[in-house]
Amino acid sequence: MGPTARARPSRHLRARAADERGFTLPELLVTLAILLIVVGSLASVLVSASKSEVDAGKRFQVQVQDRTALDKLRRELHCASSVTDTSGNALTAGTAYTAIDTQLSSVCPSTLGTTTYVTWCTAASTLTTGDYALYRVTSTSSRPTCSSSGKIKWVDYLTTSTPFCLPSSSTACSGVYKPATSLPMLHVTLPVDINGPSSTIDKYNLVDDIALRNGARS
Amino acid sequence: MTALRRLRLRREEGFTLVELLIAMIVLTIGILALVAAYTSGYVALNRATRVSSAEVLADSQMERFRALTYSSIQLNTTCGALCNVDSTYTSDAVYNATARVSGCSSSTESTCLPIQTKTGPDGRSYRMETFIEYSCPVSTDTLTISPLSCGTGEPSPVKTVTVVVTASAASTGLGTNTPVSVREQSAFTSLTGQ
Repeated sequence: MGPTARARPSRHLRARAADERGFTLPELLVTLAILLIVVGSLASVLVSASKSEVDAGKRFQVQVQDRTALDKLRRELHCASSVTDTSGNALTAGTAYTAIDTQLSSVCPSTLGTTTYVTWCTAASTLTTGDYALYRVTSTSSRPTCSSSGKIKWVDYLTTSTPFCLPSSSTACSGVYKPATSLPMLHVTLPVDINGPSSTIDKYNLVDDIALRNGARS
Repeated sequence: MTALRRLRLRREEGFTLVELLIAMIVLTIGILALVAAYTSGYVALNRATRVSSAEVLADSQMERFRALTYSSIQLNTTCGALCNVDSTYTSDAVYNATARVSGCSSSTESTCLPIQTKTGPDGRSYRMETFIEYSCPVSTDTLTISPLSCGTGEPSPVKTVTVVVTASAASTGLGTNTPVSVREQSAFTSLTGQ
């Protein structure tokens, strides 16, 4: 556009400037359709982002619960004066258990000054089918079991029902032997997965060997 | 309305190509800055994951030492390729070839191996280095190895166990950044049981 045209707009242009017609219906429809496509793609990005935010939060929470439970277990097992099955029998080396019972003397931090039986046990998860949950239940009079009242859930989305195993120097738990001069060690496996037991993604497999400090060396 | 304003309203010039290009470049720089914020968030998250997994492994290794008798806290230094330490190991600040505690004969027990590869809870692999060195509980004492002593009238030497768990830089997706490393140290005395 030359300087002349800018200074004196043509009759045609002036006519268009005076024109008061708006958009036609097809124009508006086309605009709306384009807008819909753009907003739609943005919305799907937002939805998938919020889905993965929820998923990441859940995973984070489950892993934190897992580590907290292992920490609690470690503290209690370090202080425990006996670690048995829920009937009070010694654990068989190399056998995986769904529940263990520990006896804590009154000096142990989590007992509130009274000799306490603490049972850690697994039961079916209430959140996902096929998964398990780890519970802790205490009693001052007798060995509690997972069917006792007052149990508290510590971890959910566990993919194993048998997290506890006591290795000996000749019988292994998942390939782990007890070193010859070592105190007894409880092999604890707490694999969690929010997508169920058959999932391979998002798996968090917390494994530890916890020394039973009041145990006898053999 | 002045004549000038009327004239400006009538003008039909848009932006020139150069103006448009400049605007787009400025916008791109802004968007790139936002993307960089996302990237650094991702790197930080990745790093945190690796650190917490490495910590779990280091804790678990230290726990094994707590179950051992004092005399069994020792490294296997004669199991051939399995116990060959590399330059990364020997250049560590705690490594002291003369004060090393050796004598373990097992090549399978985790507490005996100077360098091993472990799988973390996140399913990725980590390098675990274990150092066992004699040291003096009083930092001003001087350690002598034969006979093992911290000097007359001074407390006996202790075994200092250091566990270093490292995720290599390449495997963390952190590019050329330094590898993620977790370090744990504990001293063991003969009072805990021979």
